[in-house]
Amino acid sequence: MTTDSSNTRNSLNSIGPKAVKYAIEVEHLTVSYNARPALLDVTVRIERDQLVGVIGPNGAGKSTFIKAVLGFIKPDIGSVKIGGVDVRQMKGRVAYVPQRGAVDWDFPVTVREVAMMGRYQRIPWYASATPADREIALEALHMVRMEEFSDRQIGELSGGQQQRVFLARALAQGSDILLLDEPFAGVDAATERAILEVLERAKKAGKTLVVVHHDLATAAEYFDRLILIKQRMYAYGTPREVLQEELLSKVYEGRLRIFGTVFREEAV
Amino acid sequence: MYELFVAPLFETYFQKALIGGSVVAVVAGVVGCLVVLRRMAFLGDALSHAMIAGVAGGYLVMKMLFGLEAHAPGMLLGSLLAAVVTVALISFVSRISRVKEDTAIGIMYTGVFALGVVAVSIFRHYIHIDLMHFIMGDILGVADADLWVGAFVAAFVLSILILFFRQFQLTTFDPVMAASIGLPVLFLDYLLTTCVSLVVVSAVSMVGVILVVGLLITPAATAYLLCDRLDRMMMLSALFGVTSVIGGLYLCVLLDSAGGGAVMLFCTLQFVVVLTVAPKYGLLARWLRLSRMVPQQTVEDILTTILRHGKPAPLSIIRQYAENTKGLGKALRQMVRDGLLEERQGNYGLSKKGETEAAKVLRAHRLWEAYLDRIGMPQEALHATAHHLEHLQGRETADYLDEKLGRPGVDPHGQTIPARKENGPEGKASR
Repeated sequence: MTTDSSNTRNSLNSIGPKAVKYAIEVEHLTVSYNARPALLDVTVRIERDQLVGVIGPNGAGKSTFIKAVLGFIKPDIGSVKIGGVDVRQMKGRVAYVPQRGAVDWDFPVTVREVAMMGRYQRIPWYASATPADREIALEALHMVRMEEFSDRQIGELSGGQQQRVFLARALAQGSDILLLDEPFAGVDAATERAILEVLERAKKAGKTLVVVHHDLATAAEYFDRLILIKQRMYAYGTPREVLQEELLSKVYEGRLRIFGTVFREEAV
Repeated sequence: MYELFVAPLFETYFQKALIGGSVVAVVAGVVGCLVVLRRMAFLGDALSHAMIAGVAGGYLVMKMLFGLEAHAPGMLLGSLLAAVVTVALISFVSRISRVKEDTAIGIMYTGVFALGVVAVSIFRHYIHIDLMHFIMGDILGVADADLWVGAFVAAFVLSILILFFRQFQLTTFDPVMAASIGLPVLFLDYLLTTCVSLVVVSAVSMVGVILVVGLLITPAATAYLLCDRLDRMMMLSALFGVTSVIGGLYLCVLLDSAGGGAVMLFCTLQFVVVLTVAPKYGLLARWLRLSRMVPQQTVEDILTTILRHGKPAPLSIIRQYAENTKGLGKALRQMVRDGLLEERQGNYGLSKKGETEAAKVLRAHRLWEAYLDRIGMPQEALHATAHHLEHLQGRETADYLDEKLGRPGVDPHGQTIPARKENGPEGKASR
């Protein structure tokens, strides 16, 4: 594939509309830990401006997939390209939203500061944040409707608010691709709606969102595309294509109880 | 007064202790914040203990090779090496064996410390290190060399921390994101460990091996109770470090006690005071918050009592029905303040908001009675059990019962079950 020079320059900050067709291209990705394959020959091309759910049973390699897309691990073979560039060559193109359980909520940091962290990759190590950076961080907080909580310590927020602050941080990074690790874990139904609404809005603003999700019951409703993995890639497509009874029972190996057309993962 | 506060200031030993101690306390306080937030406190302890092997080694090498007695830079380098080796051993052991990190720390630092103690006693004719001095420190006998070491370390470590503040903040708070934007997380970890080692090495000569970890973490923990921002926590921690040194030195003059001990004692007292009175995270504040809180159950009992009474009720009636009569007056006042009740000439009536809330509880109560009746609970137990269960949180519970029972409309006693109101105080209908 050839791209002209203007597109190449443009792709430093954002993926130009015609630059590359796919937001994330994973090609023949194989990753192993101590001779045990975590991912085997995973190939998937994710289109831009989509809300994509990654589903699969526990231990299916979902977190390895995340790490690979963030460029943390050197694959045995294969590659991950973000906007046409190998992810290990250029860090910071994918904004990451951690699981709620992975954060120390007692950390002395305010909502505004968390949003500012999204700008850190753009600030040279010897310089301090510019007013423009502050503006962008505040804008991101505005987008998730957390502006008025700017000076709160993050532990004082409700679960949904906390999730939104980290979403704001990801937005402030200015990446076109957001990676969310189980954003709906441990929040109530109303909060789940509120988070989903923000995700939808981010999508409309031209972001591609990849969300690790484990509730099959809501997967069809929330996402445009689903990736079903368990070591191997089992399916990628619209929820209708992916949530096939035959496919799911193969991946979840009978750990599913089937209620008509709704699938639920049974607690093991 | 003059004797106590001003006279010591003219003594050289006091001046040196004050200056040297403050310099070390400032930098220990600042770096200590990161140590506390990263839960590395035990590591500080390990580093200080490992030092003695390094000091002995450095002393010995300089004396054997160059014939220099008690060469300070040599001993400093030795301590740093020992610290680095200890840290490396700790991470090596915890990574390759099933022994967990806290145990690995304990094993390695006692081991290296023991090595140092044995070395010092074997070579006692060559190296003149006073073990007691090393273990207890002597802030009142600070040597000029120690002062210079302290000043150099403080300047170096503070510059690093100020220059890379954002990087340290982010890698401490969210290492995964830090790595995802390409920060050298591992390098920053090593850099911080080096800084901690330097601070420990420079502080040991003043407060000794045993107390140095206190100087590192106690001021930081004190500031942690007062701050919601890392930069402010660092500044306050430095301040607490300095006040510990000043307060401790005067305490030591006053009581004629050991210097290092007095400093740490003052530092700990400072922590205890802040722990008690801190406005947000202190014990008093917590106690006040708890005592101001009116239990939800009492609130709901009062609401339903007034609702059942049908008209504004005096205190005597409410007292009769409420399960928990303790603190009833306080509960009533709080509920008036919250706009649930209206008081008129000693009678308490429900406000609009109170009525909605009361209906919700009553609905839950009657639904529970209907449900318990359905599953065959004896009549006489219905009310008591339902009275207990009506306080379960969340409207989904009541909705579930209602649906399960096929929307009965009346309870077993023939009383109407209030309909579900869509516009609760949350103002949001969930579907």
